[in-house]
Amino acid sequence: MPSGVERTFDEDEIIVTKTDTKGVLTYANRVFLRVSALTEAEAIGKPHSLIRHPEMPRAVFKLLWDSLKAREELFAYVVNLASDGAHYWVLAHVTPSLNEHGQVVGYHSSRRKPERAAVAAAQEVYGRLRAEERRHDNAKSALDASWAMLQSLLDQNGQTYDQFVWELTNASAV
Amino acid sequence: MIRRGRGGDAPEQPVGEALAQIARVCESAAAGDFEQRVPRIGEEADAERARDAVNSLLDVTDAFIRESGAALAAAAEGRFHRRFLTRGMRGAYRNAAEQISQSSGRMSEDAERVEQAAQARLQLADELESAVLTVSEQVATAATEMGSSANGLADFARNAVGSAEQGLTTVTQLRSSSDQIRRAVDLINAVAAQTRLLALNATIEAARAGEAGRGFSVVASEVKTLATETSASSEEILAQVNTVQHAAGDAVRVLEEVTASIREMSRLVDGIANAVDGGPGALEGQAGLAQLAEVLRGEVNRFVSTARQ
Repeated sequence: MPSGVERTFDEDEIIVTKTDTKGVLTYANRVFLRVSALTEAEAIGKPHSLIRHPEMPRAVFKLLWDSLKAREELFAYVVNLASDGAHYWVLAHVTPSLNEHGQVVGYHSSRRKPERAAVAAAQEVYGRLRAEERRHDNAKSALDASWAMLQSLLDQNGQTYDQFVWELTNASAV
Repeated sequence: MIRRGRGGDAPEQPVGEALAQIARVCESAAAGDFEQRVPRIGEEADAERARDAVNSLLDVTDAFIRESGAALAAAAEGRFHRRFLTRGMRGAYRNAAEQISQSSGRMSEDAERVEQAAQARLQLADELESAVLTVSEQVATAATEMGSSANGLADFARNAVGSAEQGLTTVTQLRSSSDQIRRAVDLINAVAAQTRLLALNATIEAARAGEAGRGFSVVASEVKTLATETSASSEEILAQVNTVQHAAGDAVRVLEEVTASIREMSRLVDGIANAVDGGPGALEGQAGLAQLAEVLRGEVNRFVSTARQ
């Protein structure tokens, strides 16, 4: 479980994973295995939630799956949990993989090293969403409450989540 | 053969099979399928390195393709905030990524300029509309006022012509009355001459009667004096009548000139009224001022709604 130790990776590196349409890992690159402290055998065939960090709000994952179901890409700041308890922040770019007939055959995630300032801003928002989720004892109402809060936070700034992410990203010029 | 401990129970594979697997993945990628990756092909360090190298090449190419398509699609949709992430891209990948990112930055600036121009156009359309509305309202008001002033003036001119004509009639009557007076005075003059002649005869007859006719002679002299005075008064009256007739002639000439001027003025006023109202006297196809203002407003409305599209 989380040790509070933060792990980083190089700016030139990309963390890459592929999953099938159910979110089961079918490919993980060397950088993923290293920062997640996993062997290939431990990762492949497991659900992607293997590296889910308890501080990630459910609302962000809902946004992720909503986007993918709509066959849209999503950029998100995400904190992941390594098997040894360390955590690492990424700027994830998640896209559906289409075959030659335009059918979704799986999902692809490329992740870059984020800037500190962007992580701090995302952390602030996620902290509030998680605090809201913790006030509910079942997953459904926790998600509903955190989803509503995310929407109202974005509405206050007149932004979509995509615009929020890109404002942080362009400001820190990744 | 150096066996490495971490993970997996991948079986030993002949070199030929390992190369065939790399070849299959590369062929898929060359055909545009970036979903395939090289699986474990052996436990030797070289085999792992070769596998990682091919997979890294595929990963970065895969990421580049996903990024470039989506970044350009986003720019085309006007979502300019979505740039090409250059981080994690090296060398030629990075150069191309930066080019795409800069292009969408320029597209964003262009879009902003177009938007600003559109805003300026809309503002101009608003200003034009409001200005034309104001002008056409003012023209319409002025046209109404001018029309009613022109109508008032036309009425006034007609009344003045009527009055002048009445004056002319009156003066003409005065002239014929003077003629009658002249005839009456002529008659009086004739009577006075006759009376003087009678008085002279009476004086001669009285002298012949001697002492008895002296009283009658005084009377005859008085009658003669009276006739002379009457004749003198008549001359004076005739002089006065001549003056009156002369004055009446002048009055007629002046009144005729005034009437002609007022008739000319009336014609000019009708011209103004027609220009303002586009009345029946207006030229063919000539619209009144108020109609022109309405036409102008209509045209500007058409122009403004086109500009707002």
